[in-house]
Amino acid sequence: MTPPVLDVGAILPMIIVAAGAVLMPLFEVLLARMIQQKRTWLSRPMTRELAGTMMAFGTALILGTALIFTLGGFLRPDRVFNADHPLIRLDAMALFLNAVVLLSAIMTVLISIRYLAELRNNRGEYYALLLASVLGMMLLTSAMDLLMLFLALELMTIPIYALAGYQRSSLRSNESALKYFVIGSFASGLLLYGTALLYGATGTLALDLIGQARFDQENPVALVGAGLLVIGLVFKVGGVPFHQWAPDVYEGAPTSVTGFMATAVKVAAFGALIRVMAVALGPSQDQFYVPLWVIAVLSMTVGNVMALIQRSVKRMLAYSSIAHAGYAMVGICVGTDEAYAAVLFYLLVYTFMSLGAFAVLAMATRERTQSGEIGDLAGLHATRPFFAAVMAICMFALAGIPGTGGFMGKFKLFEATIARWSATPADQGLLWLAVIGVLNSAVSLYYYLRVPVAMYMEDPRAGETEQPGSGFFGWLVLATCAAAIFLLGLMPQDLGLFWNLDPLAGAAAAADALR
Amino acid sequence: MESIGSIADGYLLSTLIFLPLASCVVLWFLELLLRVFANGAGISEAFWKLYGVAVSLAGFLVSLEVWNRFDPASGQLQLVERVPWLANLGIHYYVGIDGISLLLVVLTTFLLPVILLASWSDIGVRVRQYVFFMLALQTGMLGAFLSLNLFLFYVFWEAMLVPMYFVIGIWGGARRIYATIKFFIYTMVGSLLMLIGILTLVYMHFQEFGVLTFDYIGFGGATGILDVPIAAWPEQDPWWSQRQVWLFLAFAFAFAIKVPMFPFHTWLPDAHVEAPTPGSAVLAGVLLKLGTYGFIRYAIPLFPEAAQACAPLMLTLAVVGIVYGALVALVQSDVKKLVAYSSVSHLGFVMLGLFAFNLQGIEGSVLQMVNHGISTGALFILIGMIYERRHVREISAFGGLAQVMPIYAVFFLIATMSSIGLPILNGFVGEFLILLGAFGTYPIFAAVATSGVLLGAVYMLWMVRRVFFGPVVHQANQRLVDLSLRERLVAVSLVIPMVWIGVYPASFLTPMDASVNALLARLRDRGAVLSDEVALDANPRGGQEIDLAGESEPLEKEPDA
Repeated sequence: MTPPVLDVGAILPMIIVAAGAVLMPLFEVLLARMIQQKRTWLSRPMTRELAGTMMAFGTALILGTALIFTLGGFLRPDRVFNADHPLIRLDAMALFLNAVVLLSAIMTVLISIRYLAELRNNRGEYYALLLASVLGMMLLTSAMDLLMLFLALELMTIPIYALAGYQRSSLRSNESALKYFVIGSFASGLLLYGTALLYGATGTLALDLIGQARFDQENPVALVGAGLLVIGLVFKVGGVPFHQWAPDVYEGAPTSVTGFMATAVKVAAFGALIRVMAVALGPSQDQFYVPLWVIAVLSMTVGNVMALIQRSVKRMLAYSSIAHAGYAMVGICVGTDEAYAAVLFYLLVYTFMSLGAFAVLAMATRERTQSGEIGDLAGLHATRPFFAAVMAICMFALAGIPGTGGFMGKFKLFEATIARWSATPADQGLLWLAVIGVLNSAVSLYYYLRVPVAMYMEDPRAGETEQPGSGFFGWLVLATCAAAIFLLGLMPQDLGLFWNLDPLAGAAAAADALR
Repeated sequence: MESIGSIADGYLLSTLIFLPLASCVVLWFLELLLRVFANGAGISEAFWKLYGVAVSLAGFLVSLEVWNRFDPASGQLQLVERVPWLANLGIHYYVGIDGISLLLVVLTTFLLPVILLASWSDIGVRVRQYVFFMLALQTGMLGAFLSLNLFLFYVFWEAMLVPMYFVIGIWGGARRIYATIKFFIYTMVGSLLMLIGILTLVYMHFQEFGVLTFDYIGFGGATGILDVPIAAWPEQDPWWSQRQVWLFLAFAFAFAIKVPMFPFHTWLPDAHVEAPTPGSAVLAGVLLKLGTYGFIRYAIPLFPEAAQACAPLMLTLAVVGIVYGALVALVQSDVKKLVAYSSVSHLGFVMLGLFAFNLQGIEGSVLQMVNHGISTGALFILIGMIYERRHVREISAFGGLAQVMPIYAVFFLIATMSSIGLPILNGFVGEFLILLGAFGTYPIFAAVATSGVLLGAVYMLWMVRRVFFGPVVHQANQRLVDLSLRERLVAVSLVIPMVWIGVYPASFLTPMDASVNALLARLRDRGAVLSDEVALDANPRGGQEIDLAGESEPLEKEPDA
């Protein structure tokens, strides 16, 4: 038996992140000793705050290195770690989504510096857990095997359970963690059971082999297995009717973690969902058309309608993220290459607009003294004009106003829907999918507009003297989000001029590579 | 050709569209620089106001240059620019102008400096933001008028809502937030369905002809959606013939909300009443015209058969709007609300003219769009002037103002007469042409609409009598100061075009003559719409003897300011 040929270069970014996750607790111990021994670093006395900042920088550095290698991977896509057992394939889609996940993680880390300092809770485990979760996400988007997919999913979510409960003194944070843990475990169980049934029906765990096997359409075991698999993943992206956990979990978790959950977790889970749908269940896609249609419509509608009646901005954004999962589900329901490309592009845009909004929330509101209601943002334009401007841009982007990436993303999704419909005009369901989608955008406008209303059209509440500042890195994150929203909205194709990465073409190539 | 002049020639329309937006960015950077280097010491508010007036005036000059270069003899789209944007989706940055959009563009660029000047003392807080949003709004409006790509049009059409939302929401009245959100959502619902309509149209076109393009009309070898003769569409295909109606309705819904046509008008009184004076003036002056422009540019030419099939419906709504708007205006006690409802009535006339499907009707409609923009804009500005002094708008709070403020009364009376349609003022020409055109095609609708003219005179004159004549009842009205020099300048600049259009409409009808004829010819091409029993005559120039822009008149060029 010849030893397997391993392409270590293919998984270099993952190795870097894994090493970071392992080394981060050690780094913390080192810093703690420096504090204990009252050492100085660069002639500054080592304090808890400085230690926290250094850990954040270390994490950002690790993630940044991984991002560079991931982007470098585009030069040679489709690498497989072990050609004999292709558990991981770094095709264009995986690289694209890994880059999005890493971007989201880097921005989360940068806004965490101030946020955690404000909470006086800046410990190394935060960064270690974050890195471990990122590793899980990177594996999840590239998994070509159901077992790998399950492992990656758990590696992604277990650290998130802990992160949601990171604020140990806060009841809500604890509640959030526990809820997420219980329901998440349930979803994982469903997914695992589905995997087992699929294995029983097809005799393989490899996604492409399941796809090739073209299991007997009448085989209930295979259908139930595939259904449970999809349900498990829809749980993770927060699609209705498997969304109940999302608002409470999002609200209770520390805001920086919420931003990370709402973006990176969703991006990775959608990656897995696309891969399962396109590769493993592609031949039997029609069987899933109706359930996916229903999930997409329900997610959009329930998410938007529930968001209408929320008072807390965080809960509102939680429901809005359910609605956005619904928009992305439209693309998965349509299921053409063009639609998958639209979903990928949408996930990229969504990351910026959603994370930007959570970043402003994390920095502009004081969690210990404020209720987190929309009223907390009243008059923000006067106290913190930059925060207000970025928040407004994010809200308009989420609502899908032209000129922003949010519009371009929705446009691509509905374009793909109509394109498929015009090819098969008998299928009126596709038209209705698009119509319901745009009407939902109109509904969502109501609650998105309330945020600029509070920030720009209402006077600041009495007694609030000053807002906390952002710090340079917080500023950088917000500026990046705002710039990315406009660039993706106005010149998605021309971004390649600057750094040879064309999101539209990248998403299209990624969808191509799936088949 | 490397002189700067030739560059400006090539990008004249882009200059026109993006000059205001670019100066928005400059404004923002100026403020940023000040905050960093001058330690937060801002420039005085007067500077920002002057900045806004200067930039919008520059925009007006550019638009006059556009008029100067525009060839009125040609019905083609002119000064065209077309560069790829999202080329593989068939989306281009594609702008051009014809006689119809020319008038509306000049209306926009003319109104903006006047409105900014008029609001000099009205807007007292957050002036920099106000100038920012007004200039951004101008870019949105001009872009929507000049776009020739459906996607580009949609982008401008929607993006324009954002600055208007802020203008109403920040500087508006007590119920401003309700009004601005209602305005935004109403418009958005309509336009989102239009987006589905656009996508469906484009992909139907793609399925039939294999060309994926959002271009409205072809240019330089590339085809646009309008280029395919209607005969080429598979007529027997029920897929197309049914959907043409649905597509028309999707577009019409978006535009009807914006116009606004009865029964989609309910956002308008709220928005008008709550908006600050400049907001109302832009809304009435320009934004509503985008709805009627949408019909004339997109909904009717793209789906002529469906438009004609739906004409009875549209005409009914238009006529109901005319009478209903007039009747509701009659009972209003708030001057601003009265003028707002009069807009519903007047825009019903515009729709009536459009769906008459003949030269007089359409030319009258376009002219009436301009007229309504000027006279209703003027009315809102004038109401703003008195509101600034008294902070009330109730008709009963006034009375006998003609004695206290004679100059104001004169200007208000002229604007009223222009709105009613008194001969030698602008409103008369437009309404006359519309009714002439409509009588040719749909005499009954025209007859009912005529009652709207009558009612218009009733509610406007009744309001004028109660506000300006009779004894001065209220003490507060006794010490009112008449118009200042700035206000007189504003009023005079609005009266000039009223008289000009009223006395010599040819200088405004001539530029659009060829374009409207080209439009009618296209309608004919695209489905023999103007069959003999519908059109007055087969010859498009047949209405010449009653056409006010007769060819016996020398072609008059607008003298450049």
